[in-house]
Amino acid sequence: MANTAVICLGNRFIAGDALGCRVYDYLTRISPRAAGIDILDGGLCGLDLLRLVEHRQRVVFVDAVAGLAESGATVVLSRAQIAAHAGGYGHGAGLPYLLQLLPALHPLPLPEIVLVGSEGEPDAPMIRQVAELSMEIAVHGTC
Amino acid sequence: MTRRIIRDLPLNRVEGDLEIRVELEDNRVVDAWSSGTMFRGFENLMVGRGALDGLVITPRICGICSTTHLMAAACALDQIAGVRPPGNALRLRNLTLMVENCQSDLRQSVLMYMPDFATPAHAAHPLHAAAVKRYAPLAGERCIDVVRETRKLLEIIAILGGQWPHSSFMVPGGVTYIPNLAELNQCRGLLQHFRRWYEQQVLGCSLERWQAVRSVSDLDAWLEENDAQRDSDVGFFLRFSRGAGLIGQGRGHGHFLSYGSLDIPSGSAVTGGEDRYLVPAGFRTADGRIEPFDQSRVAEHVASSWYEGVGGRHPFDGETVPLATGADGKKYSWSKAPRYAGLPAETGPLAERVVGGDALFGDLLRCYGPDLVSRQLARLVRPATLLPAMETWLDELLAQRDQPFYETVPPLQQGRGFGLIEAARGALGHWVEIRDGKIARYQIVTPTAWNGSPRDDAGVRGPWEEALIGLHVADIDNPVEAGHVVRSFDPCLVCTVHVVGADTTPLRC
Repeated sequence: MANTAVICLGNRFIAGDALGCRVYDYLTRISPRAAGIDILDGGLCGLDLLRLVEHRQRVVFVDAVAGLAESGATVVLSRAQIAAHAGGYGHGAGLPYLLQLLPALHPLPLPEIVLVGSEGEPDAPMIRQVAELSMEIAVHGTC
Repeated sequence: MTRRIIRDLPLNRVEGDLEIRVELEDNRVVDAWSSGTMFRGFENLMVGRGALDGLVITPRICGICSTTHLMAAACALDQIAGVRPPGNALRLRNLTLMVENCQSDLRQSVLMYMPDFATPAHAAHPLHAAAVKRYAPLAGERCIDVVRETRKLLEIIAILGGQWPHSSFMVPGGVTYIPNLAELNQCRGLLQHFRRWYEQQVLGCSLERWQAVRSVSDLDAWLEENDAQRDSDVGFFLRFSRGAGLIGQGRGHGHFLSYGSLDIPSGSAVTGGEDRYLVPAGFRTADGRIEPFDQSRVAEHVASSWYEGVGGRHPFDGETVPLATGADGKKYSWSKAPRYAGLPAETGPLAERVVGGDALFGDLLRCYGPDLVSRQLARLVRPATLLPAMETWLDELLAQRDQPFYETVPPLQQGRGFGLIEAARGALGHWVEIRDGKIARYQIVTPTAWNGSPRDDAGVRGPWEEALIGLHVADIDNPVEAGHVVRSFDPCLVCTVHVVGADTTPLRC
């Protein structure tokens, strides 16, 4: 298991939620693959993403966003910004709920966690842009 | 002066899109309507697809009980294929379904139900401060613990089924993967860890000690026996419920339904009822008679549902044709109204225990009626009834791994079949018809359709509509009492209602 992971989220059957899946396809076709970075398909997992986050130093989530950017623009969110969207527990409890609970679930220090996202149905330029930004952050962090 | 008003109740932490409207007279509920407010259309989406597509699509109905839908879909196709899967396939299927039910029972109890104890509405309760510490949403220490432990338990499904949720490892004739010895031993370790945690934290005693509780007086004695039991989740739940006056609240019609579940393989050391299921099938009438279950007596009504059609139809004759009109004022839900022998029926862990003749829950019903405390208690302690069989089936898999996990079946061209199981929330059925290798009809009746159904053709309320009648609501702007009642049924509207607008687009960031 690598210290860094890019975890792609989404539903490839819903165009507006397929960004993570399309970025996963893009990144896993690149050759040679970046050393020391796991590229993972997180599907629609919620709390079950915890096992993919544990014992990492850096995690970059890739997912579609809604209401946070102009259509086609790319955004980068911190763990705290994502966690701020956590509501009550439900069967669809997802990434915000997990990241809100993470300090209580995970031994300190927490991994550096960011989310790279974009809004709208992803096209080829958007997929490439998000993929490249995700890998840049995975290698160098956000600093 | 009597004051009658009609109010829509704000209920959070209910899974899916649910609206409850009640008519109150001097703060007491005199009528109730339950409305599933989102159409999903999975059944129609299936028609015309390949015979096996239900194995991939129906687990996507819900992220918390996807193994459950997979199991029902696979059982329906087993029947069409005319095959009973080999013993190891049954063990592996059962084990994963039981894991999913255990995680759901604990997450529902600790993350969805018990947080109501931490609301300001219970501020005067002597245990309120402790409830906040234990069960406050996103912060309660027991909430954190349950997330951590149920996540570990689910690794069993990921090991045996490739992933959780939304796996498709069950197929007609068996399962697609034979786990190796290391994987089975890893599952054994995960199960042992979960059992130890469940005994220490949730029960406060061994499974054997809990199973010796067979009456209300036994339960009272158990509660006073030691601090570990009093402070466990079960002990705290009972003490808080009694102090809050919840005993006897939220009674339904008193009819209970179990489809039966967990087919016991030939030669297994696990023993069950006469019908070869670990969880027996049956229908219990309000006067206490238990009748054999007959799936031909299931029908779905749509008089109060936004669908075309008249009369109650058996699922093999069922249609799902949306009719989104409120013109006549009678239709108010996207959920259909399932009925058994023409009667509404409560389903879920309490129904399983009552139909199975469990001594403790039989006594609770005699003393307090089919109330919300018994309903929720049955859910919280269901893992105690499942864990011994889970361990036995894992041991048998380890000992007999060289035996078959799959029996070849020919391509499915024609036929009808049903897969009936007990999901976390109760009776789940998939009725499937295949013609020329394609799905010609697919009807799904979920547990929440049973429990949260609207009125039927005769105008009879669904189970939780009925359970709300007579309830006293102190503050109609914070109807915590109604929350207790509805949540005790463990509603999952996302499974039940049959493209979501911009305002409800899931926002994961």
